Amino acid sequence: MKRDLNKVRNIGISAHIDSGKTTLTERILFYTQRIHAIHEVRGKDGVGATMDSMELEKERGITIQSAATYCSWKNHDINIIDTPGHVDFTIEVERALRVLDGAVLILCSVGGVQSQSITVNRQMTRYKVPRIAFVNKCDRTGANPKRVTQQLRDKLGLNAIMLQLPIGLESELEGIVDLVSMKAVYFDGDQGETIRYEEIPDNMKAEAEEKREELLDAVSMFSDELMEAILEERAPSEEMIMDAIRKGTLNLEFTPVLMGSAYKNKGVQPLLDAVNDYLPCPTDVESTALDLNNNEAEQPVTNNSDDPLIALAFKLEEGRYGQLTYVRTYQGTIRKGEAIVNARTGKKVKVGRLVRMHADQMEEIEEAGAGDIVALFGIDCASGDSFCDERINVSMSSMHVPTPVISLAIRPVDNKAQNNMSKALNRFGKEDPTFKTFVDHETNETIISGMGELHLEVYIERMKREYKAEVEVGAPRVAYRETISQRADFNYTHKKQTGGSGQFGRVAGYLEPLEEGEYEFVDQIVGGSIPREYIPSCDKGFQKSMEKGILTGSPITGVRVVINDGSYHTVDSSDVAFQLAAIGGYKEAYAKASPVVKEPIMKVAVEGPSEFQGAIMGSINQRRGIIVGTFEEGNYTVVEAEVPLAEMFGYSTVLRSLTQGKAEFTMEFSSYKQVPKSVSEELIKAYQEEKKNQ
Amino acid sequence: MGYEPLANKNPLRVLKIGQERTSEMGLVMARAGLGKTALLVQIALDSILLGNRVIHVSIGESIDKTRVWYDDILRHILQEESVTRPHELIDMVQRHRMIMTFKESAFTRPRLEERLNDMIMQDIFKPNCLVIDGFDFETADRSTLEDIREMAETMSLHVWFSAVSHREDTRVSSAGVPAPCHEVDDLFDTVILLKPEKNKIRLDIVKNKGEAPEAGVDLDLDPTTMMIQKG
Repeated sequence: MKRDLNKVRNIGISAHIDSGKTTLTERILFYTQRIHAIHEVRGKDGVGATMDSMELEKERGITIQSAATYCSWKNHDINIIDTPGHVDFTIEVERALRVLDGAVLILCSVGGVQSQSITVNRQMTRYKVPRIAFVNKCDRTGANPKRVTQQLRDKLGLNAIMLQLPIGLESELEGIVDLVSMKAVYFDGDQGETIRYEEIPDNMKAEAEEKREELLDAVSMFSDELMEAILEERAPSEEMIMDAIRKGTLNLEFTPVLMGSAYKNKGVQPLLDAVNDYLPCPTDVESTALDLNNNEAEQPVTNNSDDPLIALAFKLEEGRYGQLTYVRTYQGTIRKGEAIVNARTGKKVKVGRLVRMHADQMEEIEEAGAGDIVALFGIDCASGDSFCDERINVSMSSMHVPTPVISLAIRPVDNKAQNNMSKALNRFGKEDPTFKTFVDHETNETIISGMGELHLEVYIERMKREYKAEVEVGAPRVAYRETISQRADFNYTHKKQTGGSGQFGRVAGYLEPLEEGEYEFVDQIVGGSIPREYIPSCDKGFQKSMEKGILTGSPITGVRVVINDGSYHTVDSSDVAFQLAAIGGYKEAYAKASPVVKEPIMKVAVEGPSEFQGAIMGSINQRRGIIVGTFEEGNYTVVEAEVPLAEMFGYSTVLRSLTQGKAEFTMEFSSYKQVPKSVSEELIKAYQEEKKNQ
Repeated sequence: MGYEPLANKNPLRVLKIGQERTSEMGLVMARAGLGKTALLVQIALDSILLGNRVIHVSIGESIDKTRVWYDDILRHILQEESVTRPHELIDMVQRHRMIMTFKESAFTRPRLEERLNDMIMQDIFKPNCLVIDGFDFETADRSTLEDIREMAETMSLHVWFSAVSHREDTRVSSAGVPAPCHEVDDLFDTVILLKPEKNKIRLDIVKNKGEAPEAGVDLDLDPTTMMIQKG
């Protein structure tokens, strides 16, 4: 059976926390008969909504991980990617947006356009995702869909026009008026499953006419046919209007606004109709792959199920039966039992089980054609890998992965926790490319690093809950470095005579600052004052000395070591003796070479509504930051700055409270710079204390 | 500080332009591609070496691109002149300079003033000098410039603009300022023209605070750095 791609929708549901996204998704699954009972997010029955599959989310009532789920509505296959609504988890949102063709932006009719909606909207614009808006919670006190629509225009800069009007508001909400068909729509039955179309109530007729005019005015520019009909004063057909709305939406030039209350079971089915009618199918969206055989040249994907396969693994999950890999196919067909190639590793893997996911439940399928979203079992890969047919070698353009900026030391409380912790860390590293983990050889501590404090906190929570790994958490740390700022000589003799064969070695030379590079060893020994076989021992000794500076115990970088003289003893000189001599010599010179502490400086970009520019700049200024520049983008101002990482701890919280959560920031490593004197003194003092207490 | 060679070769220092404490407006004009931005960067650098703070307003350009101008010119200068502590110079320039970009349509006095005040009020950055690159003189009306001049006066700022002249447009004001600025030249205290000559750029002072330009003050500049050419 060949699937009609025109009837496939890969959509995301994206919104601010508490705008009712999970409730809406739950209703959608109910009306499309994927589930047979409705559970509330914070339901009294303790079951929780189906989409939030992680316990933690159930407890907090928020959605952290995006799960893909499938349903079908009026002959259309809809894959829903539930996207998280949290600034700190944007890698999740961005990954989800990558594989979506369209999205539903949910807004609370009381809260309106809030910070997260702004962030998510901007991400959608970046990834060119066509979207429709759904104003939810129209049953709440203070509901005002008109104001929210105006905010969509003002704050998000969208050409947002209402396709519906509410019949009654707040507790009086009865249904909606559809401005395309000019009918009143009511939702009957216990769970609003029966839809009743009626004439528009008399008291709303005038308003409906007026709003319909506005709508026609706005969309006529997308359709010549509609424009002509209006000019000739013919009544435009429903199809004509819908076609124009669709065109405008796909071009990202128009945003239809729908409304209702998912909780009160109103307006959900028309939203599903709108998903079918106005959001793009896979062929409406142009995706490109990179041809690895041809210098990563871009090539558009064909969306043809008969072509060689190209698919993208966008999400991994630890399922009950092993690793579950969510993939989106861009062309070709994945079949159970066939071999596919991981474009990154070049490894061939066999597709064991292929399933269509519905949150926690799954349905076995035999094959999945182009444009579909399915999950694979037991495939070893990382998030963001591409799979293709063995005949071709292409990759979907790699997803941008930011480097971790913050690290924490974690210590398992007991042996059992130790085992579980390694399991968990291994898992998380694969699932989330921004989460990194390593062992610090000096302290033997396990260090985890990620995109922010909250990001790491969630993983620590997950370790406890899902893997039963209790860990003690250290304070977040910055990686300092030390370096020297002037040349200094050394001439050191290591001598030990404690009965039996002794140790003897003398090294002389100097240290000097190295502009580029971390360490350089120059051997200028002439006349064999140090025998050749002991030169590498000296090098080894110096390298060992680079591991820990005397000021803060941080690694030393940017030093050139030159040796130009020395002496040896035929019996007592040895590898160890020269290593120790080198360490002694280094120590002697290092103190004289005016060592300084360097800290990582981050390139920080803070983006927020222009009215907060002053507050944002003030907050950067307080953090020893240098403002490089500012630029405006619509109503948004972006402040670019260079700020020491050490000053950025807790910044997301500060920024949120300064800007009512409307600003977000990104940061990446820029360079190491010498810390100011006062800060350096404090760091040195802290290190001395720490050493004393050990 | 060891930056004397830089100052000595800076055209503005030699011409003693822009050193008074009071506000003034200056204009750099040239045909496309002759180094208006580079000269504005030199104006900024000179001001920074004098201990001032400079805001570089880029209209229609990104922060990164503007920053590259400074980095490139500084690199060229450091290649040619030995400075005792190059990193300190680069650091100082970074601390005394801020870039502000605007979309073409969004550049107005109230907008600019608001963004400046955001910083000045909190004592984050108090500029003494503003260089404005990319202002469109073709479509702008006189009142916008008058507005900015007035703002410069209230804030005691030196403001420098750049403007593109065209070969085919031969209109010239009585003072010798070419189009498109021939009708607003009275708003500027100083007007500098850049003219290409073989391997160098000539700097012509058309107008200098009402004084008639002295003969022989024209300078030859290195086209990459806009520093005075050797010899």
